[in-house]
Amino acid sequence: MSLRRRDSDGRRLAWGLLAPSTALIVAVVIGPLLFALYLSFQEAEPTVGGINMRFVGLANYVHYFVRSDLFWPAVRVTIYFTVVSLVIELVLGIAMALVLNEKFAGRSFVRAIILLPWAVPTVVNARMWEWIFAGSKFGALNGLMKVLHVFPPTYDRVWLGFDVPFEGVPILGPFLKWMGVTRALNMIILADTWKVTPLVVLLVLAGLQTIPDSLYEAATVDGAGFWRKLTHITLPLLKPVLLVILVLRTMELFRVFDIIYIIMQYSIRVLGVLTYEVGMKFLHFGSGAALSFLVALFILGLALIYIRLFYTEEGY
Amino acid sequence: MNFPRRKGKMLLWLRRAALYLAVASIVVWTLAPVAWLAISSITPYNELISDRATHWLPRHPTFANFKVMFNLSSEVGERFVYAIRNSMIVASSVTAICLVAGTLAAYALARLPVRGKKALVLSLMSIRMLPTIALVIPFFVIVSYIDYGFMGIGSSFHLFDTKLNLVILYTTFILGFVIWIMRGFFLTIPMELEEAARIDGCTRLQALRHVVLPLCAPGLVATGILSFLLAWDEFLLALIFTRSNNAITLPLFIAELGSQYITAYDQISAAGIMAAIPPVVLALLFQRFIVQGLTSGSVKG
Repeated sequence: MSLRRRDSDGRRLAWGLLAPSTALIVAVVIGPLLFALYLSFQEAEPTVGGINMRFVGLANYVHYFVRSDLFWPAVRVTIYFTVVSLVIELVLGIAMALVLNEKFAGRSFVRAIILLPWAVPTVVNARMWEWIFAGSKFGALNGLMKVLHVFPPTYDRVWLGFDVPFEGVPILGPFLKWMGVTRALNMIILADTWKVTPLVVLLVLAGLQTIPDSLYEAATVDGAGFWRKLTHITLPLLKPVLLVILVLRTMELFRVFDIIYIIMQYSIRVLGVLTYEVGMKFLHFGSGAALSFLVALFILGLALIYIRLFYTEEGY
Repeated sequence: MNFPRRKGKMLLWLRRAALYLAVASIVVWTLAPVAWLAISSITPYNELISDRATHWLPRHPTFANFKVMFNLSSEVGERFVYAIRNSMIVASSVTAICLVAGTLAAYALARLPVRGKKALVLSLMSIRMLPTIALVIPFFVIVSYIDYGFMGIGSSFHLFDTKLNLVILYTTFILGFVIWIMRGFFLTIPMELEEAARIDGCTRLQALRHVVLPLCAPGLVATGILSFLLAWDEFLLALIFTRSNNAITLPLFIAELGSQYITAYDQISAAGIMAAIPPVVLALLFQRFIVQGLTSGSVKG
C-alpha cells in the first residue's frame, strides 16, 4: 500500500464520515443563521397569512446602538451579571476545590455529592430558589434569617425586590443604579452560582491533580506559606484550566436567559431577555435577529480577548 | 498542600478544625436547598404557607403532590405524564442521532487528513458560542412558513408543537458539542494502536470499530450522558415551539406550574424533585466519566 494511495483513501473516508454531520449542521445551523442575517437587514413582522418584509439595511443595528434606550442598559446589566457571577464562581470554586483536595474523613462522599447542584435542571433550580426567596413569612431565607436573629421575628424581606443595594452610599450607590443592579438580580446571581460552582470545583480539582507534589515540598523547604504557594504555584499552574473555565462560563453567562426569565419574566432585561422580548413577544423578527447577532459578536469578542490575554503572557 | 512542620500541635489542631468546618459548610451549602425542595414536596399546602421561622418540617407529611402528578384524570397529572414522556423521547432521540453522526465526524477531525480541518474545528467552536436566541428567530419564521406557507393551510404536515421539531432544534446545539468532546477523546488514544491494527490488515473503519471505539467507551458514555442532560435541561426552544401535551417538555411544565396556581410550590417542588432525579442519578453514577468528558472536551484544543 503506497503512502499516496492510503492518503487519498483516508480523505475519501473522512468525507464519508463527515457527511452526515456536515449536512445536519448546514441544514439546522448555517442555513438558519444566514437566514437570520438576511432577516436582520429587514423590517420583518407577521401579518395575516405570512410575513411582511421590507429591506432597511443596517437600520436595525443602528437603532440599537444609537437610538434605543433599552440596548445599553441591557448591555450594562448583562456585564454586571457576567462579571459578578464569574468572580464569585471562580473564587468560591477554587476555594472549595482546595478544601476538597485536602485529606479528610468522608472525602469521597463529599466529592460525590458536590456535583448534585450542577445536575439539577435549570428550571427546577430557578423555581426552587424562587420559593426559597419568597418575600413573605413562608420564605425559607426569611425563616433562616429569623432563626439566626439577623431579622426581628416580624420582619420579612422582599428578596426579589427592585431596591438598589448600597443606594445611600455616594458613588457606589448611583453606579450600581446605573448598572441596573437590584436586590433581585443579586439573588439570582446567588441561585445561578449555586448551580454552576460544582462544575468549576471539578475542573479545578482535575487541574490540581496535574500539579506535582514535589513543587509544594520544595516550596515548603524554602519556607513558603499558604498564600505564597497559592499565588506562586497553584494559580499559575492552573492557568490553562482557568482559561477554559473563563471562556466557557463567560459564554454561558453573557447569553443568560432561562433563570432570569423564569424568576423575573421581563423585569430584569439582560440581553437574552431583551432579544426574546423584541423577537418573540413583540414579533419584530428583523430587530430581534439584529440583536441576537450583536450578542453573538460580544461573546466572540470576549472569547478572543481572553485567548489573547492568556496566550501571549505565558508560553504554555 | 503540606502543612509546615514544627508549628506546634495547637496550630495543627486548629487547622484541622478549620478544614472540617469548611467541609461542613460545603456540604450544607450543597445539600440545603435541595433538602428544602424535598421537604416542601411532602408538606401539605396549608403547612407550607405557615411561618417559616417556627415551622420547617411537615407535621402531617403527605405524598399527595406526587400522586396528583401521576393521576391521569387530573389536568396537572395528564400534562405531567405527557411532559415526562416527551422529554424522555426527545432527549434520547437527540442523543442517539448526535452520538452516531457526531462520533464519526469527530473521528475524521481527530485522525484523518481533511482539507480545511482547522477552519472546520474553529467554526464548530464559534457555533458553540452562539446564543440559542440567534437561532430561535430564523427557526420561528421558517417553521411558520413550513406550517402555514408553502405547505398550505390544509396540509397535515406540521412542525410547530411536535416532538420532531424539538429533535431537529436540539440537534443544533448538541451535535457540535458531541463532535467537540469526542474529538478530544479520540486525540487521547495513541496513534500507534491504530497503526498496529492496520499493519495487521485492518481497514481504517475496522480499526475504528474494533480498536478505537472500545477504548473510547468511557468517552461515549460521558458524551451520551452530557447530551442527554443538555436536552433534558433545555427551556427556551420548548417555550417557543411547544404548547400542548403533544410536545411540551418537563422544563416547560415546571416553569408554567406557578402561573396557573399562583403559589403551587408544593406541586412545583414535587415535580421539580422528579425532574431532577434522572439527571442527578446519572451525574452521581457516572461522575468520573462526566468529569473526564468535560475536561477532555475543553482542555484539548
